[in-house]
Amino acid sequence: MEKLFNIDLSKISSASSQEALDRKKNLELFLKTGLPNKRDENWKFSDLNFIISKNFKQITNNDDLKFDKKFKLIKEFEHNYIILVNGIIKSFDIKYEEKGKLKVETLKSLENFSKPNNNLYYLNKALSLGGFYLEVQKDYKCKKPIIIYNYFTSNLDNKIINNSNQIKLNENTELTLIEYNIGEKSKFLKNTFETINIGKDSSFKSIILQKSKSSGYFYKNITGSQAYNSSYQNFILSSGLKFNKIEINMDLEKENSNCYILSGLSLGKKEHQEIKTQINHLAPNCKSYQKIKNVLESDSTGVYQGKIFVKDMAQKTDAYQLSKALILDDQAEFNAKPELEIYADDVKCSHGSTSGSIDENAIHYLMTRGIELQEAKKLLINGFISEIFENIPEEKLKVFLEKSIMEQINGI
Amino acid sequence: MKSSELKNQEYKYGFSTDIENFKAPKGLSEKTIEFISEVKKEPKWMLDWRLKAFNRLKVLKEPNWQKPKYPKINYQDLYYYSAPKSMKDKPKSLDEVDPKLIETYNKLGIPLNEQKKLSGVAVDAVFDSVSVATTFKGELDKKGIIFCPISEAIQKHPELVKKYLGSVIPISDHYFATLNSAVFTDGSFVYIPPNTRCPMELSTYFRINASETGQFERTLIIADKGSYVSYLEGCTAPMRDENQLHAANVELVALDDAEIKYSTVQNWYPGDKDGVGGIYNFVTKRGACRGKNSKISWTQVETGSAITWKYPSCILQGDNSVGEFYSIAITNNHQKADTGTKMIHLGKNTKSKIISKGISAGLADNTYRGLVDIGAKAKNSRNYTQCDSLLMGNKCGAHTVPYIKNKNSSSTVEHEATTSKINEDQLFYCNQRGLNQEEAVSLIVNGFCKEVLQQLPMEFAVEAQKLVSISLEGSVG
Repeated sequence: MEKLFNIDLSKISSASSQEALDRKKNLELFLKTGLPNKRDENWKFSDLNFIISKNFKQITNNDDLKFDKKFKLIKEFEHNYIILVNGIIKSFDIKYEEKGKLKVETLKSLENFSKPNNNLYYLNKALSLGGFYLEVQKDYKCKKPIIIYNYFTSNLDNKIINNSNQIKLNENTELTLIEYNIGEKSKFLKNTFETINIGKDSSFKSIILQKSKSSGYFYKNITGSQAYNSSYQNFILSSGLKFNKIEINMDLEKENSNCYILSGLSLGKKEHQEIKTQINHLAPNCKSYQKIKNVLESDSTGVYQGKIFVKDMAQKTDAYQLSKALILDDQAEFNAKPELEIYADDVKCSHGSTSGSIDENAIHYLMTRGIELQEAKKLLINGFISEIFENIPEEKLKVFLEKSIMEQINGI
Repeated sequence: MKSSELKNQEYKYGFSTDIENFKAPKGLSEKTIEFISEVKKEPKWMLDWRLKAFNRLKVLKEPNWQKPKYPKINYQDLYYYSAPKSMKDKPKSLDEVDPKLIETYNKLGIPLNEQKKLSGVAVDAVFDSVSVATTFKGELDKKGIIFCPISEAIQKHPELVKKYLGSVIPISDHYFATLNSAVFTDGSFVYIPPNTRCPMELSTYFRINASETGQFERTLIIADKGSYVSYLEGCTAPMRDENQLHAANVELVALDDAEIKYSTVQNWYPGDKDGVGGIYNFVTKRGACRGKNSKISWTQVETGSAITWKYPSCILQGDNSVGEFYSIAITNNHQKADTGTKMIHLGKNTKSKIISKGISAGLADNTYRGLVDIGAKAKNSRNYTQCDSLLMGNKCGAHTVPYIKNKNSSSTVEHEATTSKINEDQLFYCNQRGLNQEEAVSLIVNGFCKEVLQQLPMEFAVEAQKLVSISLEGSVG
């Protein structure tokens, strides 16, 4: 059989001989077992090895960073931006913020990453070219959101990109970060590991958005920790990739912290998306809330694996999980595993999961009011997904997000 | 029931009967299997079937994905067959049965004597590896219903056994099911002929008595076209400080328009307060709704066993077939339970309903693990799942691990789960009305379980309700 990976470590310039050695060691560790497959409980519904083997051959790491496309910035609302090409900082502009309050730099060091929970971690450690480091200084509340434009070079066929990012919010800060992925026609893999630290009394909003369809196969691992009275909100709206798995592990380490994960996805032909979360309630009086909505068209697959863990001392926990799927085609598939692991008794933990088709009575109602079938469907799908945006306070941003979701729905 | 009465009722079935046993040589080998087959006077095809399972077992590994972990079982240190000596030559009637055995069952509240019959229930009593007696045989015979020990069915109705044995749980299934196929000893066989409604509840009572013995029972129930049967099993074991293995296989087959209702009140010895001893209850139960409009309903009340590890499942093959699962799992002290169900929807318009109530107290761990799988061809299928957990104290755990797969656009799957503790307002209200803490908890828990308890046949619902109170004994305050 032909080898799936054809990695050339000499393409990567390491800072020290120790680093080069580490990379080699990690690559060996990865190659020993290869990509995770469905025998691994965490990959039960998304057999990455199967999906990648079917679509790729001779995967190599990328060293070509020539970029000749034009950058197009979003005009709908004012924002700071960081432009990444293949995950590496190309340029950035944080003109709306006070000087010295925001630190943006290229992340080189691969230290401080959490312990591996799957084999892709070793692959990332072996090949990562770094990414960005973002830090908000103490007592500073960002005035405008930051958009991360994720551009990719052309000619990435059968290439793999590995990145690692770090985001740090110090005490009493606020930040809204929008990750904006720009579609790319060539078929490539992206493997990203990100750590997030949210300090005391801080609030972090993160939005993941995909512009236009892409042939990318993405995996993103987010590991985070939250301090006292901190808040984390993540909106996942990244439809349009061939494969996308976002894994979030969040530790609610101190009291009164809260964590929201909200997602609205509409998946089309040959698209496979998985959201996997693990929220660890390690302190009393914390709240977590997850709402995952999927619209599945054609032969797409939607997966949600969510786990709420409540430690014995984490009394008064309020945790909620809801996953809903609208299945519009007989070839589409929705799999869910909403899991609870609870060791404290004075808690309120619940989850719900439903999957089914569009309510025919609702369609009938709309059609009797003179709305055509296709239009009625769109209306209902829009209503189904747009509930996710309720928590976004910035009006302009909300309008923008609604518009981009509408575009996705119209594409159905 | 007063709380003082409650206090004295720990595990009341913990006595053991002093009886001379006739055992197979220790250990698992082809010899042991040949021995069992010979003692049971089985035909050659049965022995071949067992040996085939044994060969398969050699390449299988024990599963280890479950939540409760247990020390490695030494399969060579077990007796795979143990029977009271007096049962060696089969007694012809109840009069010939060793009075000590009859006494044991009387003590357990299961009268084998038909004069003292438990109204409307036919009992098959299994003691370690043999069936002691089956009551009401004559009356059932008249209707053409076969209700007998499976070892008897192998001899008398080989065509039925050959056709259905292993058709729901194949011999190559998983480790414990395959082990059972190789060494199973006794259990019940039920066949309900077409268009017959079984006039009484059928019931099997399993009793483990001998030490260092594993019980491997096998039950096969076939409901032919248009028939109905309600079946109940109960189980107890003596208090011992060793862990005993109970690995049973239960297969149900429902043909067109047939209905099987299978209820279990499981009360194996759960071990003592410090978690010493108790039964490992590793059971495979599976039902196939083969025919159109067929229905299988599982109801279980799991209060005993040190570790309960079982998933009574339904394979909904026939169009319009229905699967149901009602469960109460109560764990206290060091008990562990990992239980749930699988609903595999294959036919059109199939429906399933899952109601699971888990109660955890003391240092126990209680897991609901279930699968709802709607296949691409199972159009217009429907599932509703509800699992609620109740936690008493902060040293125990309650976990929910549902797997949900939906592969077509006309089916609907709904799942909801909650975890909470006993509502303090409700407790306060009960206290105010003069109920003490323990009575109040017992009342609230019974209310919490009501949806499941009401599915049990009348005769056992009362018993089960008491069991629920007793199992939580001492867990309050």
